[in-house]
Amino acid sequence: MRSMQNIAFGFVVLCLFGTAAWAHHAFAAEFDINQPVKLQGKVQKMEWINPHAWIHVDVAGPEGKVVTWMVEGGSPNILLRRGFTKESLMPGTDITVEGYRAKNGEYRANGSNITFKDGKRLFLGGSNPDDPENRGKK
Amino acid sequence: MKTLPRFIILVVAAIVALAPLVIDGQTKTAPKVWTPPKTPWGDPDIQGLWPGQDMVGTPLERDRSLGTRAFLTDEEFAKKVAFSEEQNEIDTAEYVNRNPRIARGGRFVTCEEDPNLCRNGVRIGPPNYWDERGKPTKQASLVMDPPDGRLPPLTPEAQKLQADRAAARRARPCATAPGGCHDTWEDESLWDRCITRGLVGSVLPNGYNTGNQIVQSPGYVVFRNEMIHEARVIPVDGRPHSNANIRTWMGESRGHWEGSTLVVETSNFLPGIPVANTPTSDALRVVERFTPTDADTLSYQLTVEDMKTWTKPWTVSFPLKRSKDYAVYEYACHEGNYYMYNALSGSRSEEKKK
Repeated sequence: MRSMQNIAFGFVVLCLFGTAAWAHHAFAAEFDINQPVKLQGKVQKMEWINPHAWIHVDVAGPEGKVVTWMVEGGSPNILLRRGFTKESLMPGTDITVEGYRAKNGEYRANGSNITFKDGKRLFLGGSNPDDPENRGKK
Repeated sequence: MKTLPRFIILVVAAIVALAPLVIDGQTKTAPKVWTPPKTPWGDPDIQGLWPGQDMVGTPLERDRSLGTRAFLTDEEFAKKVAFSEEQNEIDTAEYVNRNPRIARGGRFVTCEEDPNLCRNGVRIGPPNYWDERGKPTKQASLVMDPPDGRLPPLTPEAQKLQADRAAARRARPCATAPGGCHDTWEDESLWDRCITRGLVGSVLPNGYNTGNQIVQSPGYVVFRNEMIHEARVIPVDGRPHSNANIRTWMGESRGHWEGSTLVVETSNFLPGIPVANTPTSDALRVVERFTPTDADTLSYQLTVEDMKTWTKPWTVSFPLKRSKDYAVYEYACHEGNYYMYNALSGSRSEEKKK
Protein backbone atom coordinates (compact mmCIF):
# COMPACT_ATOMS: atom_id res chain seq x y z
CA MET A 1 0.00 0.00 0.00
CA ARG A 2 2.83 2.27 0.93
CA SER A 3 4.51 1.72 -2.43
CA MET A 4 1.26 2.47 -4.24
CA GLN A 5 1.07 5.70 -2.32
CA ASN A 6 4.61 6.47 -3.35
CA ILE A 7 3.80 5.84 -6.97
CA ALA A 8 0.71 8.06 -6.77
CA PHE A 9 2.80 10.65 -4.97
CA GLY A 10 5.40 10.49 -7.71
CA PHE A 11 2.80 10.99 -10.37
CA VAL A 12 1.40 14.03 -8.65
CA VAL A 13 4.91 15.41 -8.24
CA LEU A 14 5.39 15.11 -11.97
CA CYS A 15 2.17 17.04 -12.47
CA LEU A 16 3.91 20.01 -10.90
CA PHE A 17 6.67 19.97 -13.44
CA GLY A 18 7.50 22.23 -16.21
CA THR A 19 6.70 25.46 -17.93
CA ALA A 20 6.51 26.59 -21.49
CA ALA A 21 9.84 28.34 -21.05
CA TRP A 22 11.82 25.13 -20.81
CA ALA A 23 12.84 24.15 -24.29
CA HIS A 24 16.13 22.49 -23.60
CA HIS A 25 16.13 18.70 -23.80
CA ALA A 26 13.20 16.43 -24.54
CA PHE A 27 12.22 15.08 -21.13
CA ALA A 28 9.87 12.49 -22.65
CA ALA A 29 12.68 11.08 -24.81
CA GLU A 30 14.90 10.37 -21.82
CA PHE A 31 12.56 9.44 -18.99
CA ASP A 32 9.56 7.17 -18.63
CA ILE A 33 6.55 8.71 -16.90
CA ASN A 34 5.26 5.19 -16.32
CA GLN A 35 8.25 4.34 -14.14
CA PRO A 36 8.20 6.64 -11.10
CA VAL A 37 10.95 5.82 -8.63
CA LYS A 38 11.57 6.70 -5.01
CA LEU A 39 15.20 6.18 -4.08
CA GLN A 40 16.58 6.21 -0.56
CA GLY A 41 20.32 6.23 -0.19
CA LYS A 42 23.56 8.04 0.45
CA VAL A 43 25.07 10.64 -1.83
CA GLN A 44 28.17 9.18 -3.46
CA LYS A 45 29.16 12.23 -5.47
CA MET A 46 27.78 15.17 -7.38
CA GLU A 47 28.73 15.94 -10.98
CA TRP A 48 28.57 19.69 -11.55
CA ILE A 49 28.27 19.58 -15.33
CA ASN A 50 26.25 21.63 -17.76
CA PRO A 51 23.60 21.61 -18.97
CA HIS A 52 22.51 19.26 -16.15
CA ALA A 53 24.05 18.31 -12.85
CA TRP A 54 23.97 14.62 -11.87
CA ILE A 55 23.75 13.31 -8.33
CA HIS A 56 25.11 9.80 -7.79
CA VAL A 57 23.24 8.01 -5.02
CA ASP A 58 24.13 4.62 -3.49
CA VAL A 59 20.85 2.83 -2.93
CA ALA A 60 20.65 -0.45 -0.99
CA GLY A 61 18.24 -2.95 -2.54
CA PRO A 62 15.98 -5.33 -0.58
CA GLU A 63 18.77 -7.94 -0.36
CA GLY A 64 21.34 -5.43 0.69
CA LYS A 65 22.99 -5.12 -2.70
CA VAL A 66 24.00 -1.52 -3.30
CA VAL A 67 23.26 0.00 -6.67
CA THR A 68 24.49 3.42 -7.71
CA TRP A 69 21.77 5.52 -9.32
CA MET A 70 22.42 8.68 -11.30
CA VAL A 71 19.84 11.37 -10.78
CA GLU A 72 19.56 14.34 -13.11
CA GLY A 73 19.25 17.85 -11.73
CA GLY A 74 18.97 21.30 -13.27
CA SER A 75 21.84 23.29 -14.72
CA PRO A 76 24.55 23.97 -12.12
CA ASN A 77 24.16 27.64 -13.00
CA ILE A 78 20.52 27.61 -11.89
CA LEU A 79 21.27 25.45 -8.87
CA LEU A 80 23.93 27.91 -7.72
CA ARG A 81 21.52 30.84 -8.14
CA ARG A 82 18.95 28.92 -6.11
CA GLY A 83 21.40 28.73 -3.25
CA PHE A 84 22.68 25.21 -3.89
CA THR A 85 26.36 25.04 -3.01
CA LYS A 86 28.92 22.28 -3.25
CA GLU A 87 28.32 21.67 0.45
CA SER A 88 24.57 21.09 -0.05
CA LEU A 89 24.87 17.42 -0.89
CA MET A 90 28.11 16.18 0.59
CA PRO A 91 29.10 12.54 0.02
CA GLY A 92 27.45 10.33 2.63
CA THR A 93 24.35 12.54 3.05
CA ASP A 94 21.17 10.49 3.44
CA ILE A 95 18.57 11.58 0.93
CA THR A 96 15.35 10.42 -0.65
CA VAL A 97 14.86 11.26 -4.29
CA GLU A 98 11.68 10.97 -6.26
CA GLY A 99 11.75 10.97 -10.00
CA TYR A 100 11.27 8.99 -13.19
CA ARG A 101 13.49 6.25 -14.46
CA ALA A 102 15.39 6.50 -17.75
CA LYS A 103 13.71 4.77 -20.68
CA ASN A 104 16.88 2.86 -21.50
CA GLY A 105 16.38 0.86 -18.28
CA GLU A 106 19.65 1.90 -16.72
CA TYR A 107 19.95 3.09 -13.13
CA ARG A 108 19.30 6.67 -14.07
CA ALA A 109 16.43 8.96 -13.22
CA ASN A 110 15.21 12.48 -13.44
CA GLY A 111 15.14 14.02 -9.98
CA SER A 112 12.13 15.92 -8.76
CA ASN A 113 11.93 16.10 -4.98
CA ILE A 114 14.99 15.68 -2.82
CA THR A 115 14.30 15.15 0.88
CA PHE A 116 16.82 15.01 3.70
CA LYS A 117 16.67 12.57 6.60
CA ASP A 118 15.07 15.19 8.86
CA GLY A 119 12.27 15.69 6.35
CA LYS A 120 13.55 18.98 4.99
CA ARG A 121 13.32 19.36 1.27
CA LEU A 122 16.02 20.75 -0.97
CA PHE A 123 14.75 23.92 -2.71
CA LEU A 124 11.12 23.34 -1.89
CA GLY A 125 9.48 25.54 0.71
CA GLY A 126 12.68 27.53 1.07
CA SER A 127 13.96 24.72 3.24
CA ASN A 128 17.39 24.51 1.70
CA PRO A 129 19.62 25.29 4.67
CA ASP A 130 22.26 26.65 2.31
CA ASP A 131 19.91 29.13 0.73
CA PRO A 132 21.31 32.55 1.72
CA GLU A 133 17.82 33.52 2.94
CA ASN A 134 17.74 30.56 5.30
CA ARG A 135 21.18 30.89 6.84
CA GLY A 136 20.97 31.22 10.59
CA LYS A 137 17.43 29.87 10.67
CA LYS A 138 18.41 26.26 11.23
CA MET B 1 18.75 60.15 -71.20
CA LYS B 2 15.47 58.35 -70.69
CA THR B 3 16.89 56.27 -67.83
CA LEU B 4 17.92 59.24 -65.67
CA PRO B 5 14.40 60.57 -64.91
CA ARG B 6 13.29 56.98 -64.28
CA PHE B 7 16.18 56.56 -61.85
CA ILE B 8 15.26 59.80 -60.05
CA ILE B 9 11.62 58.68 -59.77
CA LEU B 10 12.76 55.36 -58.32
CA VAL B 11 15.03 57.03 -55.76
CA VAL B 12 12.29 59.48 -54.69
CA ALA B 13 9.79 56.61 -54.44
CA ALA B 14 12.22 54.62 -52.32
CA ILE B 15 12.82 57.58 -49.99
CA VAL B 16 9.07 58.18 -49.62
CA ALA B 17 8.48 54.48 -48.95
CA LEU B 18 11.23 54.21 -46.37
CA ALA B 19 10.56 57.54 -44.62
CA PRO B 20 7.83 56.27 -42.26
CA LEU B 21 10.08 53.41 -41.15
CA VAL B 22 12.97 55.74 -40.44
CA ILE B 23 10.76 58.23 -38.61
CA ASP B 24 9.16 55.40 -36.68
CA GLY B 25 12.55 54.05 -35.69
CA GLN B 26 13.84 57.41 -34.58
CA THR B 27 10.86 58.95 -32.86
CA LYS B 28 8.42 56.39 -31.52
CA THR B 29 10.96 53.98 -30.12
CA ALA B 30 14.00 56.23 -29.69
CA PRO B 31 15.01 56.15 -26.01
CA LYS B 32 16.28 59.19 -24.12
CA VAL B 33 20.06 59.13 -24.16
CA TRP B 34 22.31 59.46 -21.14
CA THR B 35 25.94 60.32 -21.74
CA PRO B 36 28.15 57.74 -20.10
CA PRO B 37 31.76 58.30 -19.06
CA LYS B 38 34.44 57.69 -21.70
CA THR B 39 36.98 54.91 -21.85
CA PRO B 40 40.64 56.04 -21.69
CA TRP B 41 40.71 55.82 -25.52
CA GLY B 42 37.61 58.02 -25.87
CA ASP B 43 34.72 55.62 -26.61
CA PRO B 44 31.50 55.74 -24.55
CA ASP B 45 32.04 53.31 -21.66
CA ILE B 46 29.14 50.84 -21.43
CA GLN B 47 31.14 48.04 -19.85
CA GLY B 48 29.59 45.87 -17.17
CA LEU B 49 27.16 43.09 -16.39
CA TRP B 50 23.77 43.49 -18.04
CA PRO B 51 21.71 40.36 -17.29
CA GLY B 52 18.37 39.98 -19.03
CA GLN B 53 16.96 38.05 -16.03
CA ASP B 54 14.19 40.55 -15.18
CA MET B 55 12.59 40.15 -18.61
CA VAL B 56 12.34 36.35 -18.60
CA GLY B 57 8.58 36.51 -17.91
CA THR B 58 7.84 38.97 -20.73
CA PRO B 59 6.59 37.07 -23.79
CA LEU B 60 8.19 37.55 -27.19
CA GLU B 61 4.85 38.25 -28.86
CA ARG B 62 2.01 40.30 -27.42
CA ASP B 63 -1.39 38.92 -26.56
CA ARG B 64 -3.62 39.74 -29.54
CA SER B 65 -6.30 41.23 -27.29
CA LEU B 66 -3.97 44.13 -26.42
CA GLY B 67 -3.68 45.28 -30.03
CA THR B 68 -1.17 48.10 -30.40
CA ARG B 69 -1.02 48.78 -26.65
CA ALA B 70 2.58 47.99 -25.70
CA PHE B 71 2.22 48.37 -21.94
CA LEU B 72 -0.22 46.88 -19.45
CA THR B 73 -2.66 48.95 -17.42
CA ASP B 74 -2.28 48.97 -13.63
CA GLU B 75 -5.12 46.46 -13.38
CA GLU B 76 -3.58 44.09 -15.95
CA PHE B 77 -0.23 44.44 -14.26
CA ALA B 78 -1.76 43.56 -10.88
CA LYS B 79 -3.09 40.34 -12.45
CA LYS B 80 0.37 39.57 -13.81
CA VAL B 81 1.87 40.10 -10.35
CA ALA B 82 -0.73 37.76 -8.84
CA PHE B 83 0.06 35.17 -11.54
CA SER B 84 3.75 35.46 -10.77
CA GLU B 85 3.11 35.01 -7.04
CA GLU B 86 1.04 31.92 -7.77
CA GLN B 87 3.84 30.55 -9.95
CA ASN B 88 6.27 31.19 -7.13
CA GLU B 89 3.99 29.28 -4.77
CA ILE B 90 3.90 26.34 -7.17
CA ASP B 91 7.67 26.44 -7.55
CA THR B 92 8.27 26.34 -3.82
CA ALA B 93 5.33 24.25 -2.64
CA GLU B 94 6.29 22.32 0.49
CA TYR B 95 3.62 19.72 -0.03
CA VAL B 96 2.49 17.98 -3.13
CA ASN B 97 -0.45 19.76 -4.63
CA ARG B 98 -3.18 17.41 -5.73
CA ASN B 99 -4.64 19.92 -8.16
CA PRO B 100 -1.67 20.56 -10.42
CA ARG B 101 -1.58 23.93 -12.07
CA ILE B 102 0.42 24.44 -15.23
CA ALA B 103 1.26 27.89 -16.54
CA ARG B 104 -0.06 28.39 -20.05
CA GLY B 105 -0.82 31.59 -21.92
CA GLY B 106 -0.71 33.83 -18.87
CA ARG B 107 -2.93 31.64 -16.67
CA PHE B 108 -2.86 28.27 -14.94
CA VAL B 109 -4.64 25.28 -16.39
CA THR B 110 -5.11 21.68 -15.30
CA CYS B 111 -4.40 18.49 -17.22
CA GLU B 112 -8.16 18.10 -17.69
CA GLU B 113 -8.47 21.54 -19.23
CA ASP B 114 -5.67 20.94 -21.72
CA PRO B 115 -4.93 17.23 -22.25
CA ASN B 116 -2.15 18.16 -24.70
CA LEU B 117 -0.01 19.19 -21.74
CA CYS B 118 -0.15 15.75 -20.20
CA ARG B 119 0.02 12.08 -21.00
CA ASN B 120 -2.02 9.61 -18.94
CA GLY B 121 -3.00 12.54 -16.78
CA VAL B 122 0.64 13.31 -16.03
CA ARG B 123 2.42 16.54 -16.86
CA ILE B 124 5.68 15.93 -18.69
CA GLY B 125 8.56 18.24 -18.05
CA PRO B 126 11.40 19.08 -15.73
CA PRO B 127 10.99 20.31 -12.15
CA ASN B 128 9.91 23.91 -11.76
CA TYR B 129 13.08 24.93 -10.01
CA TRP B 130 15.04 24.44 -13.23
CA ASP B 131 13.64 27.67 -14.62
CA GLU B 132 14.16 31.30 -13.82
CA ARG B 133 11.00 33.38 -13.81
CA GLY B 134 12.06 37.00 -14.10
CA LYS B 135 10.03 39.87 -12.71
CA PRO B 136 6.55 40.89 -13.76
CA THR B 137 6.93 43.87 -16.11
CA LYS B 138 4.41 46.24 -17.61
CA GLN B 139 5.92 45.72 -21.05
CA ALA B 140 3.43 43.46 -22.81
CA SER B 141 5.86 41.87 -25.28
CA LEU B 142 9.50 41.91 -26.26
CA VAL B 143 8.49 42.63 -29.89
CA MET B 144 7.81 46.37 -30.08
CA ASP B 145 7.64 46.74 -33.86
CA PRO B 146 5.34 45.89 -35.72
CA PRO B 147 3.17 48.02 -33.44
CA ASP B 148 0.91 45.07 -32.56
CA GLY B 149 3.89 43.30 -30.94
CA ARG B 150 3.47 40.28 -33.21
CA LEU B 151 5.95 38.82 -35.68
CA PRO B 152 5.14 39.75 -39.28
CA PRO B 153 3.79 36.98 -41.55
CA LEU B 154 6.23 34.54 -43.10
CA THR B 155 6.97 34.93 -46.79
CA PRO B 156 5.26 32.42 -49.13
CA GLU B 157 8.72 30.85 -49.64
CA ALA B 158 9.22 30.39 -45.87
CA GLN B 159 5.66 29.08 -45.42
CA LYS B 160 6.31 26.43 -48.07
CA LEU B 161 9.61 25.46 -46.44
CA GLN B 162 7.90 25.19 -43.07
CA ALA B 163 5.06 23.06 -44.52
CA ASP B 164 7.56 20.80 -46.31
CA ARG B 165 9.57 20.31 -43.13
CA ALA B 166 6.43 19.49 -41.14
CA ALA B 167 5.31 16.99 -43.80
CA ALA B 168 8.74 15.34 -43.78
CA ARG B 169 8.58 15.08 -39.97
CA ARG B 170 5.12 13.55 -40.03
CA ALA B 171 6.21 10.98 -42.63
CA ARG B 172 8.83 9.50 -40.30
CA PRO B 173 7.87 6.38 -38.30
CA CYS B 174 9.12 8.05 -35.11
CA ALA B 175 6.72 10.98 -35.52
CA THR B 176 4.22 9.48 -33.10
CA ALA B 177 6.79 8.25 -30.55
CA PRO B 178 6.58 9.78 -27.08
CA GLY B 179 9.18 12.51 -26.99
CA GLY B 180 9.40 12.73 -30.78
CA CYS B 181 12.19 11.65 -33.12
CA HIS B 182 15.59 10.76 -31.71
CA ASP B 183 17.04 8.58 -34.44
CA THR B 184 20.28 10.45 -34.86
CA TRP B 185 22.27 13.21 -33.23
CA GLU B 186 20.97 15.45 -35.99
CA ASP B 187 17.47 15.13 -34.52
CA GLU B 188 18.68 17.13 -31.55
CA SER B 189 18.62 20.90 -31.78
CA LEU B 190 21.70 23.10 -31.98
CA TRP B 191 20.90 24.12 -28.40
CA ASP B 192 20.54 20.51 -27.20
CA ARG B 193 23.85 19.78 -28.84
CA CYS B 194 25.37 22.71 -26.93
CA ILE B 195 26.52 24.29 -30.18
CA THR B 196 24.73 27.61 -30.07
CA ARG B 197 21.43 29.39 -29.71
CA GLY B 198 22.52 31.86 -32.39
CA LEU B 199 22.77 35.61 -31.90
CA VAL B 200 19.08 36.26 -31.26
CA GLY B 201 18.51 33.17 -29.10
CA SER B 202 21.56 34.00 -26.99
CA VAL B 203 20.36 37.45 -26.05
CA LEU B 204 16.60 37.02 -25.70
CA PRO B 205 15.75 36.43 -22.01
CA ASN B 206 14.49 32.87 -21.81
CA GLY B 207 14.55 30.13 -19.18
CA TYR B 208 17.91 30.49 -17.55
CA ASN B 209 21.51 31.62 -18.08
CA THR B 210 20.46 35.11 -19.10
CA GLY B 211 23.72 36.84 -18.15
CA ASN B 212 25.26 39.38 -20.54
CA GLN B 213 28.54 41.18 -20.18
CA ILE B 214 30.14 43.99 -22.17
CA VAL B 215 33.91 44.41 -22.21
CA GLN B 216 35.66 47.07 -24.30
CA SER B 217 39.19 47.58 -25.58
CA PRO B 218 40.55 50.00 -28.19
CA GLY B 219 38.77 49.21 -31.46
CA TYR B 220 36.64 46.39 -30.04
CA VAL B 221 33.54 45.68 -27.98
CA VAL B 222 32.99 42.15 -26.68
CA PHE B 223 29.40 41.11 -26.00
CA ARG B 224 29.36 37.95 -23.94
CA ASN B 225 26.24 35.82 -23.37
CA GLU B 226 26.07 33.28 -20.58
CA MET B 227 23.97 30.77 -22.52
CA ILE B 228 26.34 28.46 -24.42
CA HIS B 229 29.11 30.88 -23.39
CA GLU B 230 29.01 32.94 -26.57
CA ALA B 231 31.37 35.92 -26.87
CA ARG B 232 31.07 38.15 -29.92
CA VAL B 233 34.19 40.19 -30.58
CA ILE B 234 32.83 43.24 -32.41
CA PRO B 235 35.28 45.52 -34.23
CA VAL B 236 34.26 49.17 -33.95
CA ASP B 237 37.06 50.51 -36.16
CA GLY B 238 35.07 50.87 -39.36
CA ARG B 239 36.37 47.77 -41.12
CA PRO B 240 34.06 46.18 -43.71
CA HIS B 241 32.51 42.72 -43.53
CA SER B 242 34.48 39.71 -44.71
CA ASN B 243 33.58 37.87 -47.86
CA ALA B 244 29.91 36.80 -47.73
CA ASN B 245 31.01 33.20 -48.21
CA ILE B 246 32.49 33.17 -44.71
CA ARG B 247 29.54 32.29 -42.51
CA THR B 248 29.03 31.24 -38.88
CA TRP B 249 26.15 30.48 -36.49
CA MET B 250 26.68 33.78 -34.66
CA GLY B 251 27.35 35.75 -37.86
CA GLU B 252 29.91 38.48 -38.27
CA SER B 253 29.38 41.70 -36.34
CA ARG B 254 30.59 45.19 -37.15
CA GLY B 255 29.92 48.07 -34.78
CA HIS B 256 30.07 51.83 -34.72
CA TRP B 257 29.13 54.59 -32.28
CA GLU B 258 26.30 56.99 -33.00
CA GLY B 259 26.86 59.44 -30.15
CA SER B 260 26.56 57.28 -27.02
CA THR B 261 24.70 54.51 -28.83
CA LEU B 262 26.59 51.43 -29.94
CA VAL B 263 25.14 50.18 -33.22
CA VAL B 264 26.06 46.63 -34.23
CA GLU B 265 25.20 45.21 -37.61
CA THR B 266 25.61 41.45 -38.06
CA SER B 267 25.40 39.39 -41.22
CA ASN B 268 27.20 36.36 -42.73
CA PHE B 269 25.05 33.90 -40.77
CA LEU B 270 24.89 30.24 -41.64
CA PRO B 271 21.38 29.51 -42.91
CA GLY B 272 19.12 27.45 -40.66
CA ILE B 273 19.75 29.06 -37.29
CA PRO B 274 16.35 29.24 -35.57
CA VAL B 275 15.01 32.65 -34.61
CA ALA B 276 11.66 32.62 -32.79
CA ASN B 277 11.40 28.89 -33.61
CA THR B 278 11.75 29.57 -37.34
CA PRO B 279 14.85 28.54 -39.27
CA THR B 280 16.31 31.66 -40.90
CA SER B 281 17.90 32.10 -44.32
CA ASP B 282 21.27 33.27 -45.59
CA ALA B 283 19.72 36.73 -45.97
CA LEU B 284 19.46 37.20 -42.19
CA ARG B 285 20.79 40.52 -40.97
CA VAL B 286 20.53 41.73 -37.38
CA VAL B 287 20.96 45.31 -36.20
CA GLU B 288 21.37 45.98 -32.49
CA ARG B 289 21.36 49.33 -30.71
CA PHE B 290 22.73 49.66 -27.17
CA THR B 291 21.71 53.06 -25.78
CA PRO B 292 22.58 54.11 -22.22
CA THR B 293 19.53 55.84 -20.72
CA ASP B 294 20.95 56.27 -17.22
CA ALA B 295 23.97 55.02 -15.28
CA ASP B 296 22.38 51.61 -14.74
CA THR B 297 20.16 51.09 -17.79
CA LEU B 298 20.91 50.19 -21.38
CA SER B 299 18.06 50.36 -23.81
CA TYR B 300 18.58 47.30 -25.99
CA GLN B 301 17.00 47.15 -29.41
CA LEU B 302 17.38 44.31 -31.90
CA THR B 303 16.00 44.36 -35.43
CA VAL B 304 15.72 41.14 -37.42
CA GLU B 305 15.74 41.47 -41.18
CA ASP B 306 15.35 38.36 -43.26
CA MET B 307 13.28 39.12 -46.31
CA LYS B 308 13.39 35.48 -47.39
CA THR B 309 11.72 34.47 -44.11
CA TRP B 310 9.54 37.36 -42.82
CA THR B 311 7.65 39.78 -45.02
CA LYS B 312 9.12 42.74 -43.14
CA PRO B 313 11.72 43.44 -40.45
CA TRP B 314 10.71 43.23 -36.79
CA THR B 315 12.21 44.77 -33.68
CA VAL B 316 12.56 43.59 -30.13
CA SER B 317 13.27 46.20 -27.49
CA PHE B 318 13.76 45.97 -23.75
CA PRO B 319 15.85 47.54 -20.98
CA LEU B 320 18.95 45.79 -19.67
CA LYS B 321 19.65 46.68 -16.04
CA ARG B 322 23.21 46.88 -14.77
CA SER B 323 24.06 44.39 -12.06
CA LYS B 324 27.08 44.74 -9.83
CA ASP B 325 26.91 41.24 -8.42
CA TYR B 326 25.51 38.99 -11.14
CA ALA B 327 28.00 36.21 -11.78
CA VAL B 328 28.30 34.90 -15.33
CA TYR B 329 29.06 31.28 -14.58
CA GLU B 330 31.04 29.04 -16.85
CA TYR B 331 28.79 27.05 -19.14
CA ALA B 332 30.93 24.20 -20.34
CA CYS B 333 27.92 22.62 -21.99
CA HIS B 334 28.14 19.03 -23.23
CA GLU B 335 31.26 18.10 -21.31
CA GLY B 336 30.07 14.88 -19.78
CA ASN B 337 26.49 15.64 -20.69
CA TYR B 338 24.41 12.47 -20.71
CA TYR B 339 21.41 13.81 -22.61
CA MET B 340 22.40 12.63 -26.08
CA TYR B 341 23.07 9.10 -24.86
CA ASN B 342 19.87 8.94 -22.77
CA ALA B 343 17.62 10.28 -25.53
CA LEU B 344 19.02 8.05 -28.30
CA SER B 345 19.24 4.90 -26.17
CA GLY B 346 15.82 5.61 -24.61
CA SER B 347 14.27 5.81 -28.07
CA ARG B 348 15.97 2.55 -29.12
CA SER B 349 14.52 0.88 -25.99
CA GLU B 350 11.05 2.16 -26.94
CA GLU B 351 11.43 0.68 -30.43
CA LYS B 352 12.38 -2.72 -29.05
CA LYS B 353 9.19 -2.80 -26.95
CA LYS B 354 7.05 -2.52 -30.08
